[in-house]
Amino acid sequence: MTRSSMVTSRRRKALRRANVPGLLTMLVLLGLWEILVRFGVTEFQFLPAPSAIARGAERLLRSGDLQGNLLHTLRVTTLGWLAAGLLGISLGLLLGLSNTAWRYSMASIEVMRAIPPVSLVPIALLVFGFSVRMELTIIVFVSAWPVLVNAIAGVRSVRAELVDVSRMLRLSRLAQIRKVILPGAMPSIVVGLRLAMSLSLVLAVVAEMIGNPSGLGHAVIRAQQALQPEDMFAYVLTIGMLGVALNTLLRFVSARVLPSLATGPGDAR
Amino acid sequence: MVAPVASDHAPACGCRNVSVDLDSTEGPRRVLAGVDLDVDDAEFVAVMGRSGSGKTTLLRVLGGLLLPTEDSTVTFHGEPISGPPDGAVFVFQDYAASLLPWRTVERNVMLGLEGKVSKPERHSRVAEALAMVGLAERATDYPWRLSGGMQQRVQLARALAMRPSVFLMDEPFGALDAMTKSSLQDELQRVQERTHATVVFVTHDVDEAVYLSDRIVILEGDPATVTQRIQVDLPRPRDQLATKEMSEFLRIRRRVYDAIVHGDE
Amino acid sequence: MATRSRPARSFPPLRGLLPLVVLLVIWQAVGSERSPYFPTPSSWVGGLSTLAANGTLWRAAEATLLTFSMALVVATVLGALLGLLVGASKRADRALGPTLEFARALPPAAIVPIAVLLIGYDQRMKVTVVTFATIWPILLNARAGVRSLNPVLLDTAKSLHLSWMDSTRKCTMPALVPAILLGVRVAAPVALVITLLVEIITRVGGLGALIALSQRNYLSAQVYGLILVAGLFSFMVNGLVAALEASVLRRRMSR
Repeated sequence: MTRSSMVTSRRRKALRRANVPGLLTMLVLLGLWEILVRFGVTEFQFLPAPSAIARGAERLLRSGDLQGNLLHTLRVTTLGWLAAGLLGISLGLLLGLSNTAWRYSMASIEVMRAIPPVSLVPIALLVFGFSVRMELTIIVFVSAWPVLVNAIAGVRSVRAELVDVSRMLRLSRLAQIRKVILPGAMPSIVVGLRLAMSLSLVLAVVAEMIGNPSGLGHAVIRAQQALQPEDMFAYVLTIGMLGVALNTLLRFVSARVLPSLATGPGDAR
Repeated sequence: MVAPVASDHAPACGCRNVSVDLDSTEGPRRVLAGVDLDVDDAEFVAVMGRSGSGKTTLLRVLGGLLLPTEDSTVTFHGEPISGPPDGAVFVFQDYAASLLPWRTVERNVMLGLEGKVSKPERHSRVAEALAMVGLAERATDYPWRLSGGMQQRVQLARALAMRPSVFLMDEPFGALDAMTKSSLQDELQRVQERTHATVVFVTHDVDEAVYLSDRIVILEGDPATVTQRIQVDLPRPRDQLATKEMSEFLRIRRRVYDAIVHGDE
Repeated sequence: MATRSRPARSFPPLRGLLPLVVLLVIWQAVGSERSPYFPTPSSWVGGLSTLAANGTLWRAAEATLLTFSMALVVATVLGALLGLLVGASKRADRALGPTLEFARALPPAAIVPIAVLLIGYDQRMKVTVVTFATIWPILLNARAGVRSLNPVLLDTAKSLHLSWMDSTRKCTMPALVPAILLGVRVAAPVALVITLLVEIITRVGGLGALIALSQRNYLSAQVYGLILVAGLFSFMVNGLVAALEASVLRRRMSR
């Protein structure tokens, strides 16, 4: 191959990795959206053009509203997630390690899991009213389940041989848990934590929409009711980006902690 | 110069100077280079070579499933082709993947005829084809209920129902046990005798190649070319026991083995 | 990566229901019927029967079921077609990939206000939101199904000179049915949950609206009872979809 063809092929490979057609498609779609709205072609009275959304977002940023709401939701989500994680992992370890406890509780857990989480928000509203406590409670309660179930499964999946090895090495129960069982259950626990994170965000938003009047969810509803579509879209995009950011962060951290778990962006939730 | 259609001179299928590039992780790889092959009417040609030598690729080129590079020509009855030609039918090695599991045996055999021949004609051809391969009573069964050998026979019946002039077969009996293989080989012989069809048969089984064919073509090299063409002048009809005891059979067999194992003599 | 199917786990030992049963018993014994926050389980039945008697419960269940099934059907068709497109064409996959990923990342709850503003408080809005949320598992599974189609099948169609129409209709689509069914099995529970979500937020008909209404009126017994009904619904939906999948796939038992 000649020198020039080598250079062009390297450049072509780099371009290929950047997925130019994908970005182009997005830009084209955005452009189409802009044009359709500008020319009044669409029948939607309240569909703002992308440029209007951008301006709305800028306005919200300048006034600090966006950041304020974002911080609230972010704080509640992470707090709830952490609590759910701790609860789920500790309880999961307990139930996973003791066969008797497992037998006498798993069926109940399965039944509780079948209840659609979103339907529990009204109960939380009943009990706690319009407050942050309501938001946090529902997040923790619902997000704990995937962590719990995955922790239990993870612990139980640690292969019997490894447990035997640890017994042969005469590890104390605590050391056995710390060195063999916990690391062995980690992949499953991490999956549970990731599921819990997306649940936490979703529930935070829902709780804010119908319960606690603060945060991104509430801001979206308020903008919708005030017929301010640009603000509404801006907030919705923020929620989407927050979700992606949290997910990516978790994936990054888990890949560091557990290199064997590195997965691609096309992951199913 | 292109020979007129249905002339005695035009081979049933053929290719000239065929080269094929296939995609691989390092870029396009030349798999076949300058392959010339002519298969005459009613001839049975076996294509042999080591694993990965491009036998299947050549078959797919002949069948129009793969396009060679620009300076090659592939013809069917004298006419150049750019896709699967009418009158040629493939029989694949992976019969399970080639039969539709959601259709009964007879509906599978009918697949190639739908929309092309009238309904009564379709049914009669399907019945005829199934009878030819001895599966008439299993017509309403689903493929998964049949053994491997029977499934391959269904594929054969499907090909027969199309009444092709050329059969292109890619190691069709490779996944079957010895007994089934020999009975299907004989069935194929009988079919060819009756229909005077042309057969291009890819195999890595030397005994099978010598037993069935009139000519053996050996592909070798990287990229692959035709390195040897061995004529098989054994009397027909052939018999699993009698033919295989003939000294001529053994001689040809030895030649083919040497050609494949040791390369060019 | 395709949405992986949850293995059909057998239900864990029934004695595990003990904690739940004990909880319910204690609740019943210690609680009071009139408690605004934690009414006794027996009162739930009472609350439900009132709703059942005046027909509200059935109307709500019907509305939820209608939205759920309409959305599931539309999501299946759209998801299968889109999945087929991006699975078959690498170029379409690359071009549409980022846009689809972005759309998939938007939480359905956040879509609700947009749909309300653009479409209004009606059935169309509900179906749109639920379809949007439900389409992803089906799309991903259809895409994975196309990618894993045995090339011999496609070669067979070509060598039998089937037209593109015939080849897609007779070979490709039936071969994709298992993958699509798997997608539907994963999507069905999602569809139900999102339907309830939309109903709770917008209060446009269905069980969710009923729950929200009961909560507003502090009819806590009814709220609990309705949540139980919702749970029962989800259990039935899962069972139905699994049965559907099994019956369709039984005919094609391969190997």
